[in-house]
Amino acid sequence: MDLVQKEHERLWKRVKSSKTINDVQKTIDLLQAARDTISVDPTKAPTTLAKLQNPVKTSFDAINDDLKETYSGLNKYTKALDKLFKDRPLPSIEYDALSSQPDLINRAIVMHLLREGQFSVATTFLSEISNKKLPAQSGNVEPNCNKGAEAFAIDQFQSDGIRDQFTIMYHILHQLREESNLIPAIHWARQNREALESRGSNLEFELCRLQFVWLFRGRKEQKASVSGRQAALEYARSDFQAFVPRYLNEVQQLVGAMAFYPNLDDSPYRAIFNNPSAWKDVAHTFTREFCSLLGLSADSPLYIAATAGAIALPTLLKLQTIMKAKRTEWTSQNELPVEIPLPPSYLFHSIFVCPVSKEQATDQNPPMMMPCGHVIAQESLNRLSKSGKLKCPYCPNESQPRDARKVFL
Amino acid sequence: MAVELTSTKLNAESHLLLDQPLLRLPHELARRNFKSVQRVVEREKEYLIPALKETANASLARTRGPEQTLESLDAMISRMQGLKRKMENLQEEEKKIHMESRKRIQHLQDLYRISSLADVKYEQWSRIRLDRLIVDHMLRWGFSESATQLAQEKEIDDLVDLNVFVQCQRIADSLRRGETKVALQWCGENKAALKKSQHNLEFELRLQQYIEMIRSRQLVEARQHAERYLSPHSETQSREIHRAAGLLAFPPDQNTEPYQSMYSPQRWNFLADLFICTHHELLSLPSHPLLHIALSAGLSALKTPSCHSAYASSSSNSLSSTTSVCPICSTELNELARNVPYAHHTKSYVENDPVILPNGRIYGRERLLEMSKNVALVGEGKVKDPTTGETFDVSEMKKIYIM
Repeated sequence: MDLVQKEHERLWKRVKSSKTINDVQKTIDLLQAARDTISVDPTKAPTTLAKLQNPVKTSFDAINDDLKETYSGLNKYTKALDKLFKDRPLPSIEYDALSSQPDLINRAIVMHLLREGQFSVATTFLSEISNKKLPAQSGNVEPNCNKGAEAFAIDQFQSDGIRDQFTIMYHILHQLREESNLIPAIHWARQNREALESRGSNLEFELCRLQFVWLFRGRKEQKASVSGRQAALEYARSDFQAFVPRYLNEVQQLVGAMAFYPNLDDSPYRAIFNNPSAWKDVAHTFTREFCSLLGLSADSPLYIAATAGAIALPTLLKLQTIMKAKRTEWTSQNELPVEIPLPPSYLFHSIFVCPVSKEQATDQNPPMMMPCGHVIAQESLNRLSKSGKLKCPYCPNESQPRDARKVFL
Repeated sequence: MAVELTSTKLNAESHLLLDQPLLRLPHELARRNFKSVQRVVEREKEYLIPALKETANASLARTRGPEQTLESLDAMISRMQGLKRKMENLQEEEKKIHMESRKRIQHLQDLYRISSLADVKYEQWSRIRLDRLIVDHMLRWGFSESATQLAQEKEIDDLVDLNVFVQCQRIADSLRRGETKVALQWCGENKAALKKSQHNLEFELRLQQYIEMIRSRQLVEARQHAERYLSPHSETQSREIHRAAGLLAFPPDQNTEPYQSMYSPQRWNFLADLFICTHHELLSLPSHPLLHIALSAGLSALKTPSCHSAYASSSSNSLSSTTSVCPICSTELNELARNVPYAHHTKSYVENDPVILPNGRIYGRERLLEMSKNVALVGEGKVKDPTTGETFDVSEMKKIYIM
């Protein structure tokens, strides 16, 4: 990469200092001067013109030399690029499951744009898609084309719903981040209290606690003012009642901190009142809860998948090269043949690999727990249980195969 | 857990796989631009030097009067001024292209300064990359307005090739409308490069013109056209040329193959696709949108058998705040991922200290207890299954061993 940069730097300097146009101008000047001389004194024409031959030729040579240098600069840069990308052609997609589903990809992009708050781009994109669909539909009489368009219309309707939801989310987040206004978020959390509670989420309390702290510290980051404390206390009286059963400890802490207001920073409550990342954390929790209630993941799946793809590509490319060299094909249809090293944050599900067969558990071959507490896959279990008895491969325990139970990870 | 499974090391060199077109394309453009400069200079040189010589000789031999000499000098001057104008334009273009390359190199260089995939900077970088990929995808499907808007909002104009694709799309659209003019003009501009291409775009375009002439029953013109444009290809395209000759005998209203399909309006779509293919090859652009390449790898790397399972996964679902929804399970990608293979794992990966509830669900002990504490209406000594919502006694949790 450094080489590429160096070569390009050189090329760039070359291009900037290029004198070709000056040379052309020089030629024009020469011609012009000759013309002037001749028009003044026509008898000088033969000599002037004769004298003109060489300088004009020279300036053309100069132009060509200049171009040659640029050309070699370009070539060097080409070589640097080739070197950087050597042995790394873009992997070809042999099993292209995506190109046949442009609608799904476009839908994913629309949802990604909405989720990122790019509402206007999403609108443009949707209208461009439907414009493109219409002529295609009228030109084609096949019935399934109509069906596709219908499905898409439903999609659009759905995405309208999602757009509304994300508009709400961005409004709340904007208020929260830019205006330090928690009220819309608290309002939303109250509306969805039941759903949030059954998820075991602390969102509403966290928002209210932050509101209390914010009031307590006063609006303009002043030292806790009297009015601020008063407001916080009033807020606690009116709003904390509902939290007492679940968050008694925390509420006590908050109210207890009142007593320490002169030297809060030295008090044990410091962590609650002086947490610089509190706002960011709350915003993050809010986004996550909001998306989860919609059944969506907190981070854009498109982003995660594309990034994971970029991480996985070198490995897959290597695999492709090896397979080509050895002329083998991979046999397992539904599974990649190699492990892709992804960072731990990219693991979402628990993975169960049967310790006996080394296969991943699936719906058809679920993990089974034997009475001793060891887990193996069902197929392995069937294979191991001969004559109605099953000996655990990991401990001396023996059991009946029917005592094994299906488990869910 | 295997060491490489948790690896967050970032190897920038191999990470740039997807970004080759980012540098290659402007470079191809720069080379093309350079060739144009060379061509115009060469043309003027070939005109000017002999012309000057001739004028000098004529003036020496006194076969031309001074007015004529002045006239031819004026002609030379104006041609040189034309050259200067052209070169100025081309140089402007050249600078623009190199400026773009510079910014792109800078962008890629940023990646080399990031050592870990867990770095916040990597996330920013990767987000820009995603935006680039989306713009690329939009452009390739002809959604240029959305692409332009997105590029502007994200301020990545320098990192995407709007003009190239918009132009390509324009020509392809003109072909779909049944016009060959713009496409042929493009062929003329890229004559030298097209010679190396294995696609015979120009021949196909000329053939189409020929077909159109026959369709409108201009048979004489069609024959002349064929002689002029098709016969030179007789070595490589003899089969097509024979067919083309046969076409003369079959008017469009007869349903005889292969002539019927030659008259078919579908041929225009074929030409448009052929053009796009040739165009991308010439600029060393990959034939598939980069987003597809990235996604199909990414979907597989992330997919697990649980993602399309009939049973809710205990470790990642939308029912509990302690888990995050897996991107493959999320609505956006779920259908898309249905047909890709899932990731290969050689080791089980479960939470620490797994316990099993009487309903067969497995959780990490600590997470389960923590979560039960937060949920309202779960009494002391009870745990709540975050997936099914059932409550059990703590004593019903049983330790489980996963190797």
